Amino acid sequence: MSTLLRLKKINLKYQTGKDNIRVLNNIDLNIRKKETVSVVGESGSGKTSLIMLVGGLEKPTSGKIIFQNQEITSLNEDEVSEIRKKNIGIVFQSFYLIPNYTAVENVALTLELNNFKNPEKEAKILLDRFGLKHRFNNLPSQLSGGEQQRVAIARAIAMKPELILADEPTGNLDTENSTLISNILFKYVKEEGSSLIMVTHDPKLADKAKRKIKIKDGKIK
Amino acid sequence: MEKSNNSSEFNLILKYALKDLSRNYNKISSIIITLFISLFILSAIFTIEDSLKKELNDNAKALLGGDLEIDYNRNQGNLDLLNQVKEFATVSQMIEFSTMLSTTGREKNKSLFTRIKTVDEKYPLYGEVDYEPNDAYERMQREPNTILINDSLSKTLNIKINEQVKVQDQNFTVIGIIKSVPDVSGFVAFGDWALAGKQTLDILKFNGIGSFLNYEYKVKFNSDDDPEQVERKIENIFKNDQKVKLRYPENSASGIKRIINNFSQFLSLVSISAMLIAGIGIANTLLSFINQNNMSIAVRKAVGFYSGNIKILYYLQLFILLFVITVISYGSSFLIVPIADKYLSDGLGLNVYPVFSFLNFLKIFLVGLLVLVIFSIPTISSINQVKASNLFRNVFQNLQFYYSKKSVAVSFIFLSTLILLFTIGSEQPTYSLGYFVAFFACLIVFFLLSKLIIFFLKKFKSSSIVLVKISIKNITQTKSITPITVMSLGLGFTLLLTLALVGTNFQREIAKSIPDIAPDYFFVGIQKGEREKFEQGILSMDKDANIEIVPMVSSGIVKINGVDPNTFIKPDNDSYWVIGSERRSSWVEDIPKDNPIVMGEWWDLSKPNQLQISLDAKVAKDFNIQLGDIFTLNIYGREIDGEVINFREVDYRDLSINFVMLFNPQFAKEIPHEYLATAKFNSDKFDETEMLEVMPSLSMIKIADYLLKVTAVLNKVFIAVTLISAVTIIIGLIVISSAIMVQGKIKEYQNLVFKILGFSKKQIIFSSLIEFIIIFMSVILIATFFAVVGSKFIIENIFELVWQFDFKVLIYLGFSIGLITLILILITNLKYLNPKIYPLIRNQ
Repeated sequence: MSTLLRLKKINLKYQTGKDNIRVLNNIDLNIRKKETVSVVGESGSGKTSLIMLVGGLEKPTSGKIIFQNQEITSLNEDEVSEIRKKNIGIVFQSFYLIPNYTAVENVALTLELNNFKNPEKEAKILLDRFGLKHRFNNLPSQLSGGEQQRVAIARAIAMKPELILADEPTGNLDTENSTLISNILFKYVKEEGSSLIMVTHDPKLADKAKRKIKIKDGKIK
Repeated sequence: MEKSNNSSEFNLILKYALKDLSRNYNKISSIIITLFISLFILSAIFTIEDSLKKELNDNAKALLGGDLEIDYNRNQGNLDLLNQVKEFATVSQMIEFSTMLSTTGREKNKSLFTRIKTVDEKYPLYGEVDYEPNDAYERMQREPNTILINDSLSKTLNIKINEQVKVQDQNFTVIGIIKSVPDVSGFVAFGDWALAGKQTLDILKFNGIGSFLNYEYKVKFNSDDDPEQVERKIENIFKNDQKVKLRYPENSASGIKRIINNFSQFLSLVSISAMLIAGIGIANTLLSFINQNNMSIAVRKAVGFYSGNIKILYYLQLFILLFVITVISYGSSFLIVPIADKYLSDGLGLNVYPVFSFLNFLKIFLVGLLVLVIFSIPTISSINQVKASNLFRNVFQNLQFYYSKKSVAVSFIFLSTLILLFTIGSEQPTYSLGYFVAFFACLIVFFLLSKLIIFFLKKFKSSSIVLVKISIKNITQTKSITPITVMSLGLGFTLLLTLALVGTNFQREIAKSIPDIAPDYFFVGIQKGEREKFEQGILSMDKDANIEIVPMVSSGIVKINGVDPNTFIKPDNDSYWVIGSERRSSWVEDIPKDNPIVMGEWWDLSKPNQLQISLDAKVAKDFNIQLGDIFTLNIYGREIDGEVINFREVDYRDLSINFVMLFNPQFAKEIPHEYLATAKFNSDKFDETEMLEVMPSLSMIKIADYLLKVTAVLNKVFIAVTLISAVTIIIGLIVISSAIMVQGKIKEYQNLVFKILGFSKKQIIFSSLIEFIIIFMSVILIATFFAVVGSKFIIENIFELVWQFDFKVLIYLGFSIGLITLILILITNLKYLNPKIYPLIRNQ
């Protein structure tokens, strides 16, 4: 399998008042196509920061990130947005659905952004696949946590991205919903051949990935 | 926790209110700024108005020139009656007249139509005359053919002390310059005038109407006498003299008082507009602030605070803020009194000093409190929507303005109190009430417009362009803030456009050239036998001059349909001046070209022995005169009945010959009369001084000079209007940006998600622009309509100037306002349009 993503000597530092906080320290990481990777570690170890950098939501202090043979760290914000729009889907612990958009509208938005012909129809097919047929026209506030996360996953995979980034996707859910969500996610990456980088505290969920990376004090152990 | 019905709970809330305020004041900076600016304008207007009124009241006797004034108008006083007054009081005689004053001994002499005030040695009975050099005033009383001129006259004709000037055929030596006199009146404030000793009257010739003679006798009571008894005594002496009018100190400077009242009425209404619009801005900013505190409100509820307590917490913060800002803005308003003092002492010779009034402070605080409470009720009530359970569900919730029956009723009561406070206290309550009705009508129209926009846009939801679709979705979504945005922008744009249109109309009036049909000169004081001499004098200098001569007679309206008009026409009537004193009237054979008849027929030739009157249509409307009504006129002491047979549309602003009343020539030609003439020249050969050689008692008014004076006055008013408008415009812009900021803040989360999904910065900004353009285009049309109506009303009814529709100006203003607002959107919203993802996701 060829390499999808390469991180070279990535450093991330923050200035908080007079303090200089080193979040990530000389990270080197390769992710192959269709590979599933779980990232584990204690709170504050730098897990979420790592996938933020991979998703182009933040720039590293130094180092290079190469996605599909293109160095994204040298691109401007709009160029990174363009890559994210087509190739990267992100799932958050807090779902981040647009509160005044219905479930269908939330999913259709990504498709519309990529000029799909029938975005709402495609969105409905996806939601139906995730067991949300009866929730098409509900607003996020009318959905349960598990349902909201299913909508968020549907939105993230709507464009069939090469890479899915998931930050504690089951962190806000009960056991039953956690199992459901993880099954959906892993089933999808297997069927569609996407790569997955998933941050989690849940050891069972972490074990589902082919590779497990542990981060401690900003370094891969 | 129980409800806050005991002092310890209140103390706790107060403690938290102070703590929150000290930590969050930067987040509500736009509330602080708008509140300060609007309260400062209000304070400044109240303070200056109060200071000015106090100055006028304190100096009422000096302004009148005595404890009482006996005004004989153009008739010489009845000496027998006046001598009776002199037995128990001091009487000073003052006679004013207008005539030409010319320079002498220069290569090219210049002349000016000047008001001369002749005074006796007792003048002034109150106050002081400010003049230079030191002995000039005493010399003027002692030495014949000496005169003091005012600063303006000295500058206009470039006359120096000890220079000779000519008045009629007499030479006078200018022995001093007057800075100010205590008895201020219209011409003293704005015109060219001079002061001379009473002996001057004996050496000059006067003609009844053309010299605009005015005989006044000022009376000073003995300090031991009871003023009321003396007043009654004098009233008794003159009770049978029809020609006399008695004036008291409270009537002094009535013209200035009326101007002050009208102007402060206008400024008060502008300032209350600023307050109300600021209120909308405050509501927006407060909503944004409460939305930011959504989480902390939920946490407070979770730990046991009642909604009521949390609301009190916010009201308390506003109350403390208001009190501090009122103190600062009222205190700051005293700083602009010296500026007003400089302006007024230069123009009117009045000096104003800051006057602290607790009542004014209370009134300003009350206005601020009412506006703040009215506009914060729906905002603070939104706290009810925050649920502690939100903390568990992790659902982002935008708070909306919340209206319950109770809050609407309370808002209505407060609003009515505010309207009453402004309406009852104003000079013209009808105008004020009309203004408030118009303001809220605008508000309702903009609310309905927002609903209309939403209704129509819902039909276009299926747009294929994703950015347009998002924009439409944002405008039409349930609980969208489109109505409040449309109302804020609508009122803001209406205010900006109205003031801008008022300003441009003012500018046009100031820059206006002399109307085409206007003559170059007006000539008054041509006696019956001098008509030919006058014509020859003019034609000898310019044979192509266009001369118009009309007869002129002075007459007073004694009765209308047998009733004294003073009993039913009040001084605040727009046309009161017509009955206030004698008016000049004329007669013509044919209908004047620029005075079309709007009702009735021209002269009835079958009734040559009956006086027929053609009346100014506006005067007829103001006095409720019908065709066929009978006017009893006093013409040279004879009372003559005349029938009003037609109404003419008279536009005095065209500067041609215009009269309120015209008589039928068949009847009027036998009345002793003078002539009034105008001349339009085809060359610059006309020389005023040369004309005075031919006719020394002729008075000439050069239209260009007159317009210059009017322009100077307009300029001063324009500066004041521009200043107040500029401040209001700043408030308007702050409000507009606050409305947009609220929307921007609410959309920050949405934009964050858009960015995560791959929207570019350009796309997010473009989507916001589409939204703004849709709203702007709808709002600007309605705002323009309101602004056109509003500015027309202000220009024509308050300032009594000509309003003109200018499409180019409107387009220019609309475009400028749109552009400025757009820049404001980008400046205030950039951080929301392009949110930093990482800190937000990490809840930083």
